[in-house]
Amino acid sequence: MNKTLLLATALAVAILAGCGGPSSSSATASEAPTGEGELKGDLEVMAFEGGYGIDMFQKAAAEFQELHPDLKIKVSGNPRVWEQIRPRMVAGNPPDLMFPGWGMDHWALVAEDQLLPLDAALDTKVGDGTWRDTFDPNMLKLCQKDGKTYMLPYYIMVYGWWYDPAVFEKNGWTPPTTFSELLVLGEKMKAVGVAPMAFQGQYPYYMIEGMLFPWAQGIGGIQAIVDAQNLKPGAWNSPAFLKAAQMIDELNKKGFFLAGSTGMSHTESQTQFLNGKAAMVPCGSWIESEMKEVMPPGASVQYMPVPFSEGSGDPTALLIGVEPWMVPAAAKNPNAAVALYKHMTSLEKAKEFVRTKGTLMTIKGSDQVELPRVLQKPAETVRNAKVVYANLVRQWYPEMWKEFEGGITSMLNGEITPQQFVDRCESAAEKARQNKNLVKYEMSL
Amino acid sequence: MRGRGRTAFIISFLAPAVLFYAAFVLWPLVQAFQFSTFRWRGLSARMTPVGGDNYRQLWEDQAFATALKNNLLLLAEAGVVIIALALMVAHVVRGQGPVQKFLRSIYLFPQVVSMVVVAVMWQFIFNPQGLFNAGLRALGLDALTRTWLGESAWALPSVAVAFVWYAVGFYIMLFAAGLEGIPQEVNEAAELDGSKGWHRFCHITWHLLWSVKRVAVTYLVINVMNTFALVYLMTRGGPDRRSEVMLTYLYEQAFVNSNFGYATALAVGNFVVVMGLSLLILFLFRRNPVEARA
Repeated sequence: MNKTLLLATALAVAILAGCGGPSSSSATASEAPTGEGELKGDLEVMAFEGGYGIDMFQKAAAEFQELHPDLKIKVSGNPRVWEQIRPRMVAGNPPDLMFPGWGMDHWALVAEDQLLPLDAALDTKVGDGTWRDTFDPNMLKLCQKDGKTYMLPYYIMVYGWWYDPAVFEKNGWTPPTTFSELLVLGEKMKAVGVAPMAFQGQYPYYMIEGMLFPWAQGIGGIQAIVDAQNLKPGAWNSPAFLKAAQMIDELNKKGFFLAGSTGMSHTESQTQFLNGKAAMVPCGSWIESEMKEVMPPGASVQYMPVPFSEGSGDPTALLIGVEPWMVPAAAKNPNAAVALYKHMTSLEKAKEFVRTKGTLMTIKGSDQVELPRVLQKPAETVRNAKVVYANLVRQWYPEMWKEFEGGITSMLNGEITPQQFVDRCESAAEKARQNKNLVKYEMSL
Repeated sequence: MRGRGRTAFIISFLAPAVLFYAAFVLWPLVQAFQFSTFRWRGLSARMTPVGGDNYRQLWEDQAFATALKNNLLLLAEAGVVIIALALMVAHVVRGQGPVQKFLRSIYLFPQVVSMVVVAVMWQFIFNPQGLFNAGLRALGLDALTRTWLGESAWALPSVAVAFVWYAVGFYIMLFAAGLEGIPQEVNEAAELDGSKGWHRFCHITWHLLWSVKRVAVTYLVINVMNTFALVYLMTRGGPDRRSEVMLTYLYEQAFVNSNFGYATALAVGNFVVVMGLSLLILFLFRRNPVEARA
C-alpha cells in the first residue's frame, strides 16, 4: 500500500504510544528550579553533536559528578538528537537538560508549554552578582518570550563574510567595509577571473542573513529589522528592505556572484570559495570547523563584517545566532539540570570551551583568552557592536520564511524584480498576521 | 463435516497474517485519518480537534498543488523514458553473446546503490562545474551549459534524469522476464509468417507483455509519487518550489513547521492520489487483450 502514509502513521503512533503514563508528572516541576540545595538522583542530558562534539559536555558532567557524588549523570548525543527528543517530549518523558540543536523547533516548544522558565535560577547569586549577570544581556533576550527566559544561550554564531587573506594579499585587495568599496573591489576581482562572491543557493537563508538583513539594517536602522520581525504592516516591503533587495539585485546583474550559485548546497559553494573560484562567501563563524576536512593546503578563512550599506543605520550592528540549552517542563530533576548548566557556563568552563573548540561564547569575559586567529576578528566585531540582533522570524514563522527563501531565489534567477520580491515577503507576512492559529512573538531591543 | 474442517484449517492459516495486517497496516491507517483531523505540533500530547480544517487548507494550498503537479510531471517525464528505455534494453540483453552477458551483469547496479549516494553523485554531475557541463564544453556546446539544479526550468528534468538512471534497471529486469515468458512457439510461428523486427514487436510482443506492463506502470506510479530522498538531497525542492514533490512538502510541514496534523492530512492526500492513479491503471489494463481474443 502507501508506504508514506504508513510511515507517517507509524511515527505518529510511536510518538503517542508513550502518552498514557507519566506525562502529567510535570506538575511536580512547577516550583521553579534554582540549581541550589541538595543535588541527587539521576540527571539525563541530551545534546546535539555538531562540529564541536559533545566531549566537552561529558567532561563537564564528569567533573560535576565528582563534586556531587549523589548525582548520577548521563550525557548522550548525536548529530540528529532532535529526532530522539521529539517523541520523548510527546511522551512526557524528556531528558532533564537538553541542547536539541538546529533541527528542533525551539519556539514551538515554548508555545506548547514544554519548557521551564528559568528566571528564578538566573536571579540566584553567582560570584558578586547573579547568574543572569554572567550572560551577555542581548543574547539572553533572544531566548525570552513575554519577559520570561525559556532557554539559555551557550555559544554564539557570528554572521558575516569570509575571505582567504592569502588570496587578498597576493592581489593587493583589502576587505571592503562599505557597499561602494565592494562595487569597486568586485570589478577588480572580476578582472582577474575570480567571482567576487559565492553563495549557498539551496539554503537561501545564508544570503538573507548575510546581505538582506544587514543591508536593510544599514539603511533603515535597527528599527527596520524590529518592525519586520514583529510583522508590522508594511515593514517587509519598506524602503529599507526594498533598497537592500535592489543592492543584491545590482550585484547579481553586475555578475558578482559565482555562476551557478543558486543550485549549490552550502558545502558546494563553500568548496568553490576555498578553491579560489570566488573571493568571498557569506557564512557563520562555524565555517572553519565545517570545512576543515576539505580545506585545500595553504587556504585559510578570515572574517569580515558585512560591508555597510551606507544609510542611517548602525555600521556596528551585528547579526548573530545562538543555539540554546533548555530544561523541559516535564524534567524529573530540573534543579540538578540547572546546577549542571551553571557549572558549564561558569567563566572558567566557558573560557575552556572557547580555547578548545574555537567558538565564541555568550558568557561575558569568555573571550579573554588566547583566541584562535580565526576568532579574533569576530570577537572584536562582537565587542564593538552597539546593537546585536538575530534572525528570529525564521524559527518563529517557518512558512513565511519559506516564501522569503523562494522569493529571493526567484529574484536571483532573474524571474522577479526586487520590488516583486519584497512585495511577496510582505504578503507572506500579511498571511502570517491573519493566521489566528499562529502563535505570535515579539522582538525587543 | 469435511467442509467445516477445511474452513477451520484455512482460518488457522490465515489468522496470523490477517491479525498482523490489521494491527500494523489497517489500524495505523485508521489512526492516520484520525490524526489528520487535529491541529498538533508533534511536540507534546496536546492535540486540538479541528474537524475538516486541515483538508480545507489542503484543498486551497498552492504549495501542495505545485508539488502534486511536479509529481505528475516527473511521472510523465521519467515514466515514458523508463518504459521505452527498459523495453529497448530488455531486447538487447537477450542472447548469450559476451556483450549481452556483460549488460545483464550491470544493469541492476544503480538499484543496489543507496538512494543517498545516487543523489549526491548526480548533484556532483549537475554541479555548474560538474561532469555534465564539462562534457558539453568538451563538445564545444558551451552555450548549452546550465545551472541544472538551480534554474527553474531545469531542476525537475535534472531530477528526472537521476531518477531514470536509478530506476530503469528494475524495469529492464521486469521486461526481460516478460520477454522470456513469451512462449517460444509464438515467436517461431510469427517468424514462419514473416513477422520480425519492429512488426513483430508491435503486433506480437507488445501485446503479450500485457501483464508485465500492468505491473511496471503500477509500480512506476507508486515509485514516482512517493519520491522523497532524491529530490530532498538534490534540490531540497528548489529553486522556489520548482522541484517540490508531495513528500518533500509533507516533510517540511511535519518536521520544519511542526504541523504534524496538517502533514498527516497531506499524507492522506498523497494516499488518495496514489490510490486513485493505481485504480485508474487497473481500469485501463482491466482486460487482457490477448485473452479476450482467444
